[in-house]
Amino acid sequence: MKRTVALLAGIAAWAAVASVALLVALNIGDRNQVLMFLPVLAAVAVAWAIGELVTNHVFN
Amino acid sequence: MAILQKAFQPRELRDPGTFRLIFGNTVLAPLWLLARLYLGYQWLLAGSHKVWGSGRWIAVPGPDGLPLKAFWENATGIPAQGRPAITYDWYRHFLTFMTNHAWYHWFAWVIALGETAVGVLLIVGAFTGLAALGGAFLNFNFLLAGSASINPVLFVIALLIAFGWKTAGWIGLDRWLLPALGTPWQPGSIFEGVRTGRHTPATRARRRPLTA
Repeated sequence: MKRTVALLAGIAAWAAVASVALLVALNIGDRNQVLMFLPVLAAVAVAWAIGELVTNHVFN
Repeated sequence: MAILQKAFQPRELRDPGTFRLIFGNTVLAPLWLLARLYLGYQWLLAGSHKVWGSGRWIAVPGPDGLPLKAFWENATGIPAQGRPAITYDWYRHFLTFMTNHAWYHWFAWVIALGETAVGVLLIVGAFTGLAALGGAFLNFNFLLAGSASINPVLFVIALLIAFGWKTAGWIGLDRWLLPALGTPWQPGSIFEGVRTGRHTPATRARRRPLTA
């Protein structure tokens, strides 16, 4: 059960990254190549951190 | 004959340390992340404009793919003066064939969804090497069709990411996907478990993410 929840949390985190990137692409577009980078990079960092935490605490 | 045998005897040529550092060491994964995000975002931008919005290529009230038809007709045209956009005749014939058979209706879906998928996969770092190769293949075709734009730059970045497939997705989903799924020459923990019918201590150990 704990592993299933952790796995779903990881999948949700990376699905959120894809959603953020899509929202940025549709709303900011190519108007500001620096501004678009920040939310996408932040989303990737958060998702990766969640993945690392889950892996270390639940799966290892 | 002996000379040939000696020249082509099996031997493995090792890559230099610098090459292995750049393309195979997770220390440089943050740099690959930046390259991946840039490339992925360019593809996502290109694809999303074709999937959503007023200028989209697909799911429009009328027939799909009319902008693609216009692109193909423009590319295959031969001007009275100057050079045509397409250099290779075989590629012009290929595009002409697809235009004449109205393949742009469904091919617009392939391009629009393909570009979006390449962008999303590169950004989340899933199957990074394959996504980069897919992007490079699209760039290659656009270049053959005479559309330069930023395609040469994207093509080179995509090839570099494809070379660094092991670490380019390290700060991404490949960090977990590659150890689980493995490669055709080295099955991952999931397939080893399926093949043996149970998870042995060895396969359980391999389920842990790869370490540098």
